[in-house]
Amino acid sequence: MSATTTFWLIIAVLAVGTWAMRALPIMLHGHVALPSWAERLLRYVPVAALTALVVPGALYVKVDGAYTFAAARLLAAGMAMLVAARTKSVVWTLAAGMVTLWIGQALLGG
Amino acid sequence: MNGAFTGLVLVIRTPRLRFVRALACYHRLSPAARFVEQPVPRRRHSMITGARDVAPILLGIVPFGLVAGSQVISAGFGMAEAIGMSLFVNAGASQIAATSLYIEGAPLFVILGTALVINARMFIYSISIAPVLESASARLRPLLGHMLVDQNYAMTMTRGRERSDVDPVPYYIGAWLALASTWQLSSIAGAALGPFIPASWGLDFAVPLVFLAMLVPSLKGRLSLEVAGITAMAAALLVPRLPMQTGLLVAMFAGMLWGALRHPAKEPSS
Repeated sequence: MSATTTFWLIIAVLAVGTWAMRALPIMLHGHVALPSWAERLLRYVPVAALTALVVPGALYVKVDGAYTFAAARLLAAGMAMLVAARTKSVVWTLAAGMVTLWIGQALLGG
Repeated sequence: MNGAFTGLVLVIRTPRLRFVRALACYHRLSPAARFVEQPVPRRRHSMITGARDVAPILLGIVPFGLVAGSQVISAGFGMAEAIGMSLFVNAGASQIAATSLYIEGAPLFVILGTALVINARMFIYSISIAPVLESASARLRPLLGHMLVDQNYAMTMTRGRERSDVDPVPYYIGAWLALASTWQLSSIAGAALGPFIPASWGLDFAVPLVFLAMLVPSLKGRLSLEVAGITAMAAALLVPRLPMQTGLLVAMFAGMLWGALRHPAKEPSS
């Protein structure tokens, strides 16, 4: 399978899977109820998923395929977190994080 | 529709000449527009209001779209893949996660599993927004499902539902049109500009930053802080150790399980 075919396969599966999760409850509204254990499990999906996506990138950089701790990234992520809590703005969070990263890399290296 | 709009603007501007002007414009209206009762048809007004209400959020999507688009290029693909992904998947966080896992060489099941877990939150959105959109026809509902994104959900569940002058279904569609066109244009821009950005700028760091910006406002209450803490520890320890990027999925499930087990069963879920 060529790389392009693989990538389109990823797009197709994601598109269909995501559509099913988004659309079925709207389509079946009034017909089916969700079991309470499923509801409890799904309740913390946003927090868990987003945290898992933030943490590795905020701690490590990949050097020759190996995860290596990067102090500048942790510093920048901490600063971005403060700004995100204060402003709740994607733009300001990005700006604060990137600028801190550049300063941190200049001072600490890496 | 346009004819009706022009005619009625004249009516509003010059109340004294209302009848004369309105009659003068009448012949210009299409037959369908002659039966329109309200100044601006309610459906159209709802759509415009939805688009207008999400306008302040649109700027926040741009950096996100830029990252999503430029990543598809750094994964070795072209504009068609960037556009297709934004159009068909239409869920930023999962697009970025899937593409970066692909770049890191993760196996298919990890890429798809991680991205789908990220989008599982939309299942919850869909359950809670379903009663608000129940006036939609059975034919329209599958499309409405595709339109469900974070910002659209949040806006329709708050302002869209509360305003008496709009219908939630066209409001929701209008909001999505504004969001999706911004998303599409910014990921096209990212795909076009991305290759010219040097790696030393560390722009890959923009990806966790965007997720952080989404995460922080959702950290409300003790239990979500606990879930974040457990997930963070698991991710920090497991992601470098487990093979094939499976650490990410395991960390997500650890956090979800912690939340489900610690969550009081009696409390009604919102």
